[in-house]
Amino acid sequence: MTGKAFLVDTTKCNGCRACQVACKQWNNLPAEKTSFFGGPEYTNPAKLSAITFNHVKFFPVDRKNPGGPIWEMMHLKCNHCEEANCMRVCPQSAISKMDGWVVIDQSKCIGCGACESECVYQVPHVLDKTRQMYGLKKSIQGEKSYKCDACTANRRSVPACAANCPTGALAYGDRDLLLKKAKAVMNQMRGKYPRISLYGETQFSGLRVITVLKDTPEKYGLPLKPKTVNVEKAEAVRDAYQLLSLATFGLPSLKRVAYRISRSMMG
Amino acid sequence: MTNHWIDIKNADVILMMGSNAAENHPISFRWVIKAMEERGAKLIVVDPRFTRSASQASLYAPLRSGTDIAFLGGMINYALQNDRIQKEYVAEYTNASYLVSPDYAFHDGLFSEYDAGKRGYGARKTWAYQLDDKKIPKRDLSLKDPRCVYQLMKEHYNRYTPEKVAAVTGCPTEMFLKVADLFTSTHKPDRVATIMYAMGITQHTVGTQNVRAFSVLQLLMGNMGLAGGGINALRGESNVQGSTDHALLFHIIPGYLPAPNVKDFPSFEEYNKKTPQTADPMSINWWSNRPKYLVSLLKAWFGDAATKNNNFCYDWLPKFSKPASFILLFEDMLKGAIKGAFYMGTNPLVGGPNANRIGRAMDKLDWLVAVDLWETDSATFWKRPGAKPARIKTEVFLLPAASSVEKEGSISNSGRWAQWRYKAVNPLGKAKTDLDILDLVFREVRSLYQKEKGKFPDPILNSTWNFTPQGAHEPDPHMVAKEINGYTWQDRKEVKNFLDLKDDGSTACGNWLYSGSYPGKNMMARRNGADAPNKIGMFPEWAWCWPVNRRIIYNRAAVNRKGEPWSPDRWVVKWADAAWKGDVVDGGPKAGPADKNPFIMNPEGVGRLFAAGTALADGPFPEHYEPMESPVRNLFNSQKVNPAAVILDSVAREFGDPKRYPYVATSYRVVEHWQAGAMTRNLPWLTELVPDMFCEISLTLAKAKGIKNGDRVSIFNARGRISAYALVTDRIQPLSIDGKPVEQVGMIWHFGHGGAATGDAANKLTPSIGDANTMIPEFKAFLVNIRREA
Repeated sequence: MTGKAFLVDTTKCNGCRACQVACKQWNNLPAEKTSFFGGPEYTNPAKLSAITFNHVKFFPVDRKNPGGPIWEMMHLKCNHCEEANCMRVCPQSAISKMDGWVVIDQSKCIGCGACESECVYQVPHVLDKTRQMYGLKKSIQGEKSYKCDACTANRRSVPACAANCPTGALAYGDRDLLLKKAKAVMNQMRGKYPRISLYGETQFSGLRVITVLKDTPEKYGLPLKPKTVNVEKAEAVRDAYQLLSLATFGLPSLKRVAYRISRSMMG
Repeated sequence: MTNHWIDIKNADVILMMGSNAAENHPISFRWVIKAMEERGAKLIVVDPRFTRSASQASLYAPLRSGTDIAFLGGMINYALQNDRIQKEYVAEYTNASYLVSPDYAFHDGLFSEYDAGKRGYGARKTWAYQLDDKKIPKRDLSLKDPRCVYQLMKEHYNRYTPEKVAAVTGCPTEMFLKVADLFTSTHKPDRVATIMYAMGITQHTVGTQNVRAFSVLQLLMGNMGLAGGGINALRGESNVQGSTDHALLFHIIPGYLPAPNVKDFPSFEEYNKKTPQTADPMSINWWSNRPKYLVSLLKAWFGDAATKNNNFCYDWLPKFSKPASFILLFEDMLKGAIKGAFYMGTNPLVGGPNANRIGRAMDKLDWLVAVDLWETDSATFWKRPGAKPARIKTEVFLLPAASSVEKEGSISNSGRWAQWRYKAVNPLGKAKTDLDILDLVFREVRSLYQKEKGKFPDPILNSTWNFTPQGAHEPDPHMVAKEINGYTWQDRKEVKNFLDLKDDGSTACGNWLYSGSYPGKNMMARRNGADAPNKIGMFPEWAWCWPVNRRIIYNRAAVNRKGEPWSPDRWVVKWADAAWKGDVVDGGPKAGPADKNPFIMNPEGVGRLFAAGTALADGPFPEHYEPMESPVRNLFNSQKVNPAAVILDSVAREFGDPKRYPYVATSYRVVEHWQAGAMTRNLPWLTELVPDMFCEISLTLAKAKGIKNGDRVSIFNARGRISAYALVTDRIQPLSIDGKPVEQVGMIWHFGHGGAATGDAANKLTPSIGDANTMIPEFKAFLVNIRREA
């Protein structure tokens, strides 16, 4: 796997969330209406959504580490999997690769939520669910799925999140070089973080977001061997859907019903 | 900062104390991390909480808020007892060898000349050096004389044992020793530590002495003047350095000249009589130039009216008879002595101490002018919760101000770099720049004086006020910058720098420190990204910094008496072939390293381990006193509070009893909000991240009080009650103080009743008491109680 990628080095992150804000500004995303809920710690909003493409998740401090307390803050966004579940299950083939980045074509998307339910990282979100969650007005465009596109639609030389990271915790560059850098960081920091780990090198044949974690991936809820979609089953669902959708008159709402029926038939 | 932001990358050890730079100065971490990654530097964070900064630390040491001197005194003692000091530097460049008056004494927390009736020290004659017959301080270079500073210091700090430090601060002995060992490893000439501090150090009744303790440590380590060293105050506002340089504070006029006052400087003669003097040929004593700076300033202000015969109009300057500190101003407002107020970019109802009292004081105003980007909480003080608008007669004027991108001008960062910025867009609506607003107000006031005369029109009518170019309608920031730089009065030619300034009225200069920033050319607008040959990140042609573009001050101390750098791989200056190379050397290029002492702003020319004379109100050595509100007795001496801190009768009954309010509280900021929040609480992208007022408490306090993470709680003391969400976190732990557990409550202070995201102001709980020298309020250590809201 070659091309560009992000390196999230959590040993350098202090959770300032410039990435979270820069993403909203560059992609012109509205703020969520939040209130204090106890995080853990400063986490807010609670998770990624159709209007939040970058998220920093704070974990409770671990006082037991012999190298000193560990306070993990994990930058989350679409991992841009090489073999992406979301791409495989999208009945509309609305999800594709652009320069290696996984992008959603909203003009094709019917908002069925297949990508949302199949992504093990809970990245794509259908807009109307987000709106309901925050009590915002229903969108005119109807339900569509949204997530980070590595600033490919609103193109810039370095994606907004990485360009605004003050500490170098979020870097953007060639994946090969970033992997080397990640391994060097691990060697340097192992004294302080004995269980320091790397995530994203192999999962889904490689992620385009490589993360150096202060502790093991499991501790931070990242599956070491994430469940991949059964390709044959996905194809079968898609075939069924394509037949059924002939009777939907092109209406997204009926298409969504058609998708649900195909999935329950083939599932 | 003695050094500057980029220079942090040159450090081997970084001590962050009273600063949470990851929150409040996030970009600084770029350099902290660079030092750690590239030099293998170690970061020490000393803080009551395990903060975002602490999350990156090599060593994290907890301490109870308000016990910094106990901690630092312990480090000084550790250095002295274990002989971990840079001996050559200490002997040559500090006053360690100076002999102190035989009458100087220290006993049970009180220095000689204490006057209990006046709650302060007298003339402080006993805090002086012994002088020889040439009036030069006597020295003992062997450091053995019992009256030499080194021996007095050793005696003073031998009480600060690691065990005592632990008992007072709550930092476990083992961790304290690790910190002391790591920090004092920089006593070696080629190892350097920097100190990053902010309001966690200054906002105490012993704030000045906290900083003094840093100075003592850094002098003992030989870290002043070196790249990667120094004492670095991280300023809390983007231009607070510039505003301080230009005399935002009541005790100074531009360029840190003392402010005229009735007691010390009633006349021009008295002012100049008190010009610092020295008989020591080794001392440069830069302040001997003070009369030139004062006269040039008066000339800039009063122009042709300022002549030698009328003492350059010194008598026209207002002279204060009592300190106009923040707390005292609002006390006067409460008494009705202040009728009107001008708030420019300030929000005291959220940012000031004892905010309920500030609200009551503001109720007495006849008028208030609020100049800001937003309608602030202070501008709407009359509709704060609990106020009775019908009974408040204040007339409030709201002047919309231009934001930083809507105006041109200079901004001075913490590293003293003055950088010129340009206007990106025109101000929205009817907003005006601060300069424009002040210009309009001044001109209107002057025309009123012209029409109506008034009691004392001379200074207003005779002020030079030439900031608007011919034919223009608005003042030009370049014309202000040129006046600040200074010029010859006769032919109006900009001076090169402050060496050209005279005390005879032939030059005018708005601020001697900035002389050289605009000598015909705008040096602040320079944008050359090339580094200097010493490659330490000075970037000398990027913008301009005071004084005379010197990037690291006290840089003469970066070399030994031969002019060789203590740390050659990051040299700042060096003396070779009878000339200085590198940074602009302190005190002028002619004097060699053996000719003059490096600390040019002190009359003795050396760094002060012992603050001789009248420089400080509360003692020549930092000594631990408890905060005004503290749950424990002082284990170091029987003085509870700083004996020179002013305690106002008017608020005496507002101080809390530890039996009723047993928890140590402190206030701080988070990276998502800015100061009193007027800007950030109106920005949805930021209120999304931190939408509400919250406090932080330990798991144990939460359990004891039946509070769960995310519950709403009341926090209260004798001054008020606030409501907040509780963040229950293991990042805060109870501290063991004198064998007893002491719980802490941390609060963010960004919230207020106005704007889009609202919440209670933490400052309703902070006390009206200040530091003995500066009167900065003790925001960082006070007592509260807490309970879960039903």
